[in-house]
Amino acid sequence: MNLAVELAGIRLKNPLLAASGTFGYGVEYEGLIDLATLGGIVSKGLYLEPRDGAPPPRIAETPSGLLNAIGLQGIGIRAFVEDVLPRLRRHDTALLVNVCGDSVEEYAEVSRICDSAPGIAGLEINISCPNVKQGGMAFGGDPRMTHAVVAAVRGATRLPVIPKLSPNVGDITVFARAAEEAGADALSCINTLLGLAIDVETRKPRLGFGTGGLSGPAIRPIAVRMAWQAARAVRIPVIGIGGIASGQDALEFLIAGCRAVQIGTANFVEPAIYDRVLAELRAYLERHGKDDIAEIVGTLEYPGEARECETGGSP
Amino acid sequence: MPANRTSSLVGREGLGGPYFLLSFLHPETAQEARPGQFVMIKAGVSAEPPLRRPFSILEASPERETFTLFVKAIGPGSSALVLLPIGGVAQCLGPLGRPFTPPADGSEALLVGGGYGVAPFSFLGTQLARRGGRARLFYGGRSAADLPLLARLRRLGLDVVPATEDGSVGARGRVTVPLEAYLDTAAGPRLYACGPEAMMHAVARIAAARQLEAEVSLDPWMGCGVGTCLGCVVRVQGEDDARWKYRCACTEGPVFDAARVVWPGDSESRAHQAAGGRS
Repeated sequence: MNLAVELAGIRLKNPLLAASGTFGYGVEYEGLIDLATLGGIVSKGLYLEPRDGAPPPRIAETPSGLLNAIGLQGIGIRAFVEDVLPRLRRHDTALLVNVCGDSVEEYAEVSRICDSAPGIAGLEINISCPNVKQGGMAFGGDPRMTHAVVAAVRGATRLPVIPKLSPNVGDITVFARAAEEAGADALSCINTLLGLAIDVETRKPRLGFGTGGLSGPAIRPIAVRMAWQAARAVRIPVIGIGGIASGQDALEFLIAGCRAVQIGTANFVEPAIYDRVLAELRAYLERHGKDDIAEIVGTLEYPGEARECETGGSP
Repeated sequence: MPANRTSSLVGREGLGGPYFLLSFLHPETAQEARPGQFVMIKAGVSAEPPLRRPFSILEASPERETFTLFVKAIGPGSSALVLLPIGGVAQCLGPLGRPFTPPADGSEALLVGGGYGVAPFSFLGTQLARRGGRARLFYGGRSAADLPLLARLRRLGLDVVPATEDGSVGARGRVTVPLEAYLDTAAGPRLYACGPEAMMHAVARIAAARQLEAEVSLDPWMGCGVGTCLGCVVRVQGEDDARWKYRCACTEGPVFDAARVVWPGDSESRAHQAAGGRS
């Protein structure tokens, strides 16, 4: 049975990656789980320089979800390449860097540094963090800026370029197409949904930053819908992200047309989740008589004309 | 090395009201845990509530391969734990975090626990006593009902000084009242505090005023317990830092040098001044 997938020129031994911001730099889990179990790891978001991040409290639990405003605290790309990457490379898994920037030039410069660092399989371009004042959504909320950032990164590296799109937009297909036109090799869909949780006793936001990004099972149907929309709008592959905590959850994204998926918030709940999800994927393929995970991708049987007829109004 | 494993409940004792002692089978935590360390634990595998919860380790028994938690059922995570049947399973990662630093040889340890923040001091107090050290526990709460561990801690041989705000047991008033009275007579003890933030801040101020060393165990919301989510950061100034930095309570704490913590609204602290007035 084959679970390996090829994605934007990256060979993944299985379609499960750890999502950026939910797995640190990977090395934190050494000794706790076997990192070689993962298809790949996407690093915490990295700028050129280290960042302090947002004021605490930074996380708040919500129904089936997690609201966070970490604010991209990070060690900076040079410290990652020099101090973390050599250690991380010892594990047999694909390593992707999540690239951040306050300007188009910074995205390009971080990408250039990654290009000359051995052991990086691809770049995920973070144009969708809701928890920073500059950058992030400023690029992911305007298709012209999305195009500009992706084109600049494309010009700075030969590595696969994978923009991570925001759900906090009206029509994600506009952004998916803009990224594809600018030279993206794949898309990650989606980042967190902008949310606000309030402490009614203090009448203040529960997060120090104010608003935050919502993740976890609460957002899964929205994420599946948006990944499905993006996958239909472009020819490049899509990586599905949003509330995956089981093999069945991962299969929803694969059936919707995603070639791989990322596990995010569930890493906090169960660091050993990859073994279980892989076992569930294998059991599913066996039950459905499939030899290759690729046979599942994009097999959604979506209602056609019958649905059109019913939109006129209910009886 | 912490271990992540399924862990079954092997003992439950109700202490009245929302308070319980829960014992879990977890060989690594039982054998390796040190006072001040914690576990990330969640009952069963249900989707709700999503996150594991951090709990200080109350006691560890290497022989029985179990550890015990002092749990106040106040939210969905803690309530799900106390509702586990004997033999029921939890997902448990531990032991985690930086433990307390024992006092220098011969000096006395003064432990200050507020409410369920007393949890790590059963472990610390008994371990210090076993090693021939001197320890005294100041245990405070609103009323006698908030000190459900008092009898147990005394049975363990700890020297406990209770204080309640309503005077229903021990000294009337905040726990810092008997602490300060005792400090007037004591020579160079080391302080340890765990409880509400205001109480730990007060202990930090007392220690600073008397030039005593103090450690506090901070308790912010935690997501992962291993330093990846960066959700539990606190402002702490390191020895060589020009200003404070955000540090993960899960990996660099939960125990910190009280003098290095930047407390909310604290304009007196050295760390705060070094941070240029930011807080």
